[in-house]
Amino acid sequence: MSTRRTRYRLRVAAVAACLTLMCVVAGTVAARVYHGQMLLLLVAGAAFGAFAIGFALRNRPSFLAPGISATGLAAYLLGAIALTSDGTEPLGVTIVDALVNAVPRTLTALIPVEPVPDTVVVPVFLTWLAASLSCEFAIRYGRTLLGCLPPTLLYGAGLYLVGPNADAGPLYAIAFCVLAAAALAVTAAPPERRPDRDATVDGQAPSRMPALMGAVITTTVLLAAVAVLGPAAARLVTTSPGDPREYVEPPQLTDIDLNPLVRIAEWAQYPEQELFKADTSADAWMRLAVLTEYDGTTWQATGDFRTAGTVVPGAGEATYSADVEIIELGGKLVPAAADPASVTDLPIAVNLYTKCLLTPDGLATGTSFHVDSALVANDPAGAESARPDLSDVTTVGVPPGTPEIMATIAEYINATYDTPYERAQGLADFLSQHYSFDAQAPSGHDLPALGFFLGSPVTAGGQRGTSEHFAAAYAVIARMVGLPSRVVVGFDVPSGSSTVTAAQGQAWPEVAFDGPGWVRFDPMPAAGVAPVPPEETLEKMEEETPSPEEAEGGGGEAEDFNDEALEQDGDFNEEAGQAGGGVPRWVWYAAGALLLACVPLALKLRRALRRRRRLRRGSPAERVAGAWAEVLAEASRAGVKVPGHANAEEAAGRLSALKADIGALPRLVNAAAFAPGAVSEADARAATALVGPFSRTIRHQVKWLRRFLT
Amino acid sequence: MHDTSQTHPLQVPRRLQQPVQLGSAQAEQFAATFEALASAVDTIVLGKQEVVRLALTAMFSEGHILLEDVPGTGKTTLARTIAAAVSGQWRRIQFTPDLLPSDVSGVTIFNQASGAFEFHPGPVFANIVIADEINRASPKTQSALLEVMEEGRVTVDGNPHQVPQPFLVVATQNPVEMDGTYRLPEAQLDRFLVKLSVGYPVEAAEIEVLRGTHQRSPEHLAPVVDTDTVAQMAEMAKHVYIAEPLYTYLVQLANATRNHPQVAVGVSPRGLIALTRAASVFALSQGRTYIIPEDVKALAVPVFAHRIQTAPDAAMRGVTGAAIVADAFDQVPVPLPASAA
Repeated sequence: MSTRRTRYRLRVAAVAACLTLMCVVAGTVAARVYHGQMLLLLVAGAAFGAFAIGFALRNRPSFLAPGISATGLAAYLLGAIALTSDGTEPLGVTIVDALVNAVPRTLTALIPVEPVPDTVVVPVFLTWLAASLSCEFAIRYGRTLLGCLPPTLLYGAGLYLVGPNADAGPLYAIAFCVLAAAALAVTAAPPERRPDRDATVDGQAPSRMPALMGAVITTTVLLAAVAVLGPAAARLVTTSPGDPREYVEPPQLTDIDLNPLVRIAEWAQYPEQELFKADTSADAWMRLAVLTEYDGTTWQATGDFRTAGTVVPGAGEATYSADVEIIELGGKLVPAAADPASVTDLPIAVNLYTKCLLTPDGLATGTSFHVDSALVANDPAGAESARPDLSDVTTVGVPPGTPEIMATIAEYINATYDTPYERAQGLADFLSQHYSFDAQAPSGHDLPALGFFLGSPVTAGGQRGTSEHFAAAYAVIARMVGLPSRVVVGFDVPSGSSTVTAAQGQAWPEVAFDGPGWVRFDPMPAAGVAPVPPEETLEKMEEETPSPEEAEGGGGEAEDFNDEALEQDGDFNEEAGQAGGGVPRWVWYAAGALLLACVPLALKLRRALRRRRRLRRGSPAERVAGAWAEVLAEASRAGVKVPGHANAEEAAGRLSALKADIGALPRLVNAAAFAPGAVSEADARAATALVGPFSRTIRHQVKWLRRFLT
Repeated sequence: MHDTSQTHPLQVPRRLQQPVQLGSAQAEQFAATFEALASAVDTIVLGKQEVVRLALTAMFSEGHILLEDVPGTGKTTLARTIAAAVSGQWRRIQFTPDLLPSDVSGVTIFNQASGAFEFHPGPVFANIVIADEINRASPKTQSALLEVMEEGRVTVDGNPHQVPQPFLVVATQNPVEMDGTYRLPEAQLDRFLVKLSVGYPVEAAEIEVLRGTHQRSPEHLAPVVDTDTVAQMAEMAKHVYIAEPLYTYLVQLANATRNHPQVAVGVSPRGLIALTRAASVFALSQGRTYIIPEDVKALAVPVFAHRIQTAPDAAMRGVTGAAIVADAFDQVPVPLPASAA
């Protein structure tokens, strides 16, 4: 008796522990987008607290549990709010504000979310509620499976809150499933005590060893299938999870923020204009904006800005710091070295696509902030043998109507240089050697303006411009050459304390390479060097260009690095070759269809094996019983159901509606079931021999769909 | 007198007194004797083969029979015919309101010649006692049958007197005419193994009855078996094999009647034992040495129905014990292999 009681207590305790940990894991999923470990500790405490109360009251009247648990929840919430409050407001005000605004602020909070009263109330409340319900279902009422439901819903809520802002986190899912399986396994009933009739085979519970072996083999097969097929199947998922923050309207940009490239002309006109003070830890280019989309008129940034906390998601370890105080730099875009990791003293939003920063209220004189960045290495050496990264179509799009001079230059670059990097550098050299800087050049980077800059004679004002023209022209021609490009507007900021003036503001192009990432190129002319007229170089190129026949005959040395033949080229790394590979999608569809088609086959095979087992294995009495079971199963397929309370004679009466002979089977099954030893080998043979003709006789009475599927 | 040195074909060997499976030859012999006896009764009670066989089943189960039906359907004839077919001693008691218990059990009288009290056995001292219109006697007189029906003995003036074995009470009662009758108490009803209703004969049988009224009489029936044979057959029935699942099935059936929402008092354990014994005899009468669910179902209503007391509201609506038993059978699955497949 005491052993049974001890075993019972151990089982209950094990279930309680598993479900509590499931709630903790589910709460931890949401805690991934929170800054620090505070929320993790709070949800863990909530899970343990709620379960402890429920567990202590498990043998008390059920009406006590909600009241006491709600009281505990209220106390715990107050504690959590007090713990996370910064103390600037009275506690009462903080509590009311947190409770009223908890849901909208949690769903729209900056990521990583700061654990403040507004943002911890919802996770703590939901975790407590899930743990309480889980305890009631599983511990008080003994419904373990139902008890797993609240933590599962909590897990789903956590995933929704996280959205695409965290990694997949398979370990959480695995841990969650393992805990659920453990809780269910602890409370599992042996087959003979299960209420479902599937737990019995021919009236008897299956022996444990085959069942255990079957479970182990099935688990192994499933794990192997998941391990083999899981990664490939995951690649088929091309959409990110929904993000509740998408429903929040992003900060609006002003015109100068939408197209900051136009500021270059102003800065060139007034180079002494003091924009901001900076105290930096190293020389670096501080970016103001990254422009990836070109429609032939303006360069614009891609992607929306999302409000963020002090920590910018996805950034590495900070290796650079800058204290910035704004003087005359306007707009909302915030200067910061790539990639920013954290910003303090300034509310910011981050463009997750370009990692540029924005402050919703705009910059004003006197605004100061501190920004830490994980500096991105500009690695030209690594790009020399790399292929261009063509994964983003927005960085390779060329608008229609490009000036002829651009095509001519692109043709020249292609004809002159072999590798992508050489072409990128060659284009920068071409622009820097053939064009000159002119601070008075009119602003504009639409296609006609760029055509004027590149192709008009010097006497007409062409062939000279600001960094706006150089960077914009470079980026467009680079795309025509086949190089993904973008334009960046920023500042060259030296190490130490300095005042950044407009003269340091510049636009520069960047080219994406597979591996090194975005590499900055400088197409600006060197000071004091007279430019070479581009016509000379381009006309010489035309004279040297072979005829089309010669080029087709292999005369062209230019290499088409977008050609698939380059997959075999050792110049490019293998990783790039595999980026777009994998199993074709049709293979997956075919495999799915094949699996679907296998279902009826599997069912038929299972039926055949079951019949074989029933009719050929065991003692004569067991085979007679098997024949009876087969006859009843066949009759059921034909639509004649024999209720469980019918005896053999009554069952035979029902089966007579099928007009198929079952002979002495009712008598034999009675003998087999109720007089062991009274059934001979001949009886068993006679009984099993009846099954085949019976099945064939009633086959036409089975509906075609059921006949096909089973 | 029988020669005890010679083994009767139906006599259960001593080794079979142990829980050992009966042989099929013995079962067939039992079935043949049973059928011969039933056929003999059938010659007098026409068109009532099923009732006759149920009554004989009760007799070989060492149980008592209550025949209930309207007057003139052959209750007494059936009782007398069964008595006549068995070459034992039989008595008939016509129950009336002024019948005294001593008129049934017997009385002790002072013998002046011997100067001692002598016990004069009543009509209950017989192998087969026909208690005609039992519900006309007072409850006191009815209860005089209680002890003898259950224990096979009569106690008068503190002295027990064994009645001859086998001992069978075949009682009749009229359910329609209630004036001057006393309803049998539940305790006594429970002592009857089966309650049977003879019913009107079918048309052909009734015509046949009219044709041979004068020729057919229990008095003209020659005995088919003697009381020793009946006792041996009853003993044999105790060795019929009952599979384990059937025990569970029987208990579940009884529980279903007890837990039925329209039942005040369900089947007692005595009723369950009675059904088991009756099913054993029924199986042997079919030439089988083991019970099957069909035996249970065939006998459940005669054995169970009169033991079930329906709730007052259900009784008002005309719910009968037979309907309750039918419900119970619908609730309990038969322990056949893969019956739910």
